[in-house]
Amino acid sequence: MSVLVIRAEKITRTYTMGGNTVTALREADLEVHAGEFIALMGASGSGKSTLLNLLGLLDRPTSGEYWLEEKPVSSLRRDELSDLRGRRIGFIFQNFNLLSRLSAWENVALPLAYRNGQFGHQDQLTRAREALSRVNLDHRLDHQPVELSGGERQRVAIARALVTQPAVILADEPTGNLDSNTGTEIMHLLKELNDEGRTIILVTHDLNVAGYANRIFTMHDGVLTESEPTHVAH
Amino acid sequence: MSLIDLLRTALRSVSANKLRAALTMLGVVIGVASVIAMLALGNGARAAVDATFQSLGANQIQIGQRFDMQDGEMQPMGKKLTFTEGLDIAATIPLVERVEMSVSKTLKARFGQNAIEINAIGTTADALEGIASSGEVQPVGWTGGDALSANDFIGDGRLFSTAEVYAGAPVCILGYQTARDLFSGDNPIGETIWIDRTRCTVVGVLTELESTDIQNRYRSNPNEGLLMPISTMIQSLYEEEPSVYMVAHVTDANLIDEAKEQITTYLREKHQIEQDADGNYQDDFDMTTRNDILGQQQEAAQTFSLLLAAMATVSLLVGGIGIMNVMLVSVTERTREIGVRLAVGAKQRDIVSQFLLEAVFISASGGLAGIVIGILTIPFAAALNQGVALLLPSSIPLAFGVAVFVGIVFGLYPAVRAAKLDPIEALRYE
Repeated sequence: MSVLVIRAEKITRTYTMGGNTVTALREADLEVHAGEFIALMGASGSGKSTLLNLLGLLDRPTSGEYWLEEKPVSSLRRDELSDLRGRRIGFIFQNFNLLSRLSAWENVALPLAYRNGQFGHQDQLTRAREALSRVNLDHRLDHQPVELSGGERQRVAIARALVTQPAVILADEPTGNLDSNTGTEIMHLLKELNDEGRTIILVTHDLNVAGYANRIFTMHDGVLTESEPTHVAH
Repeated sequence: MSLIDLLRTALRSVSANKLRAALTMLGVVIGVASVIAMLALGNGARAAVDATFQSLGANQIQIGQRFDMQDGEMQPMGKKLTFTEGLDIAATIPLVERVEMSVSKTLKARFGQNAIEINAIGTTADALEGIASSGEVQPVGWTGGDALSANDFIGDGRLFSTAEVYAGAPVCILGYQTARDLFSGDNPIGETIWIDRTRCTVVGVLTELESTDIQNRYRSNPNEGLLMPISTMIQSLYEEEPSVYMVAHVTDANLIDEAKEQITTYLREKHQIEQDADGNYQDDFDMTTRNDILGQQQEAAQTFSLLLAAMATVSLLVGGIGIMNVMLVSVTERTREIGVRLAVGAKQRDIVSQFLLEAVFISASGGLAGIVIGILTIPFAAALNQGVALLLPSSIPLAFGVAVFVGIVFGLYPAVRAAKLDPIEALRYE
């Protein structure tokens, strides 16, 4: 059996809004093994972003327990979560979220810069170049985000998610801001990365995008259920 | 984040908004410039008072004729201060131990075939005590130890007496070198020499003296010249009675104000100064003590220092609030950036450091500009403060420290606010 990257047991997240308690995620159970490619589908407001935030250590569950690489994380303090997030999680966002004042390689190296001086300037540059070369952007090292196309920006963001060799890559609608051709390119790239052994969890409402995954989960009113792969057209 | 990465981030962020940063700095610039000027004035006043302390003892009163501006020139007012008044003050006011007075003139001294130009000093019988206590000269070969007394300065013969001063006796004491020049090695005691057209008996010769300040030794020779009673000198060698400058020594420094009052009463009576219709006296003499000088200097320096301190405080406060404001705007503008940084592993202290460093960067740059401007304004500040201003090198790091402090104090709140942002909210911020 391969390594268990993610194990969530009855994780629940409730919010208090104007005196009402809203349950965004209800007792979700999830196990993800290394090398899996998982798609998380659901309408907006279904709770899939809430789950992704919890899995990405951006948030803590109200109840239940979550193990990242078999380490319980529900009781970690804010800075401990940040540290673990920076080392073991790679994020890819719908709107890329690159820092406009930094060049492509500096954006990619950003997670390394927050490692308490573990990586010097030269180290950061070398690793950023490797990551950018993996997404075929080594010729755009010193370009600012504004000088790059949408697809190139998303590839820089993917390189940023790769540079730390994370346990899991979390992608939130990675093709949502791209035209369909570029979107397909990006999905091919993610598929390649998965073939190379990367664990990927992808949030989408696009069935075609979800089709790249091995397993598909659906969120409905805060309840997570696994769909049969045969139900999905490819 | 390493310090170099943080510095690079701060520098880049500030330089992306140069105009905004420059305008924000303005308050700190003015504040720090005020701090520099304020310190220079304070130090200048202190230095001026220190210099005065050295020349005027705590138990001494300087008395001189008052000068007044008339027709664009300083003119002496009323009656002259005469040496007889000085002698009277010493003799009749018990609180006054002695009164130092002196007049000097370059005159021709002759004995037989030898004639030389010398500096003649007319003084009182206790002049040598004044010289002894001033510590400016010492007998050659003096190795220190016991305090010098007047007798240590006499090489041969004696000093003239108070009685001789009152009587205007034609006696004199020669400087060591002058005695050799006039008498070529013969004993001068008891001999009569000519000073201009006045005869004068040599009663003593000073021992060989040197300046206690080694740097001064080659500039003036304390062994050339002669001393004679001030009365004799003024009566015989001056065509017109001069106004003398006196230093009254009071027996007890605590009683100096009382002594001042008694001297004032004496001089008003002597100079026939009556109360005018408003009950004021138009004195024609000035009396100054160490406390007077200290008070004047402090008053002048304090007024300006207070003004500058107020200006510095207000400017630094305004500058600090400006920095806080700009940093709050910056935090809001960069909410998404903060979210991204948190998502890729930034700890709270990384975010605090980033924004704090940016604030300090702005205030420190303002501080440097303020230091330069402050130094440039010192001459103007000095002109407003009787020319007294002194920039100590230690003032510069102090002023810079103030600027950095302002950056830290006013940058802390925005920085902490940035670090406390919820990463999910921050990432979602449009």
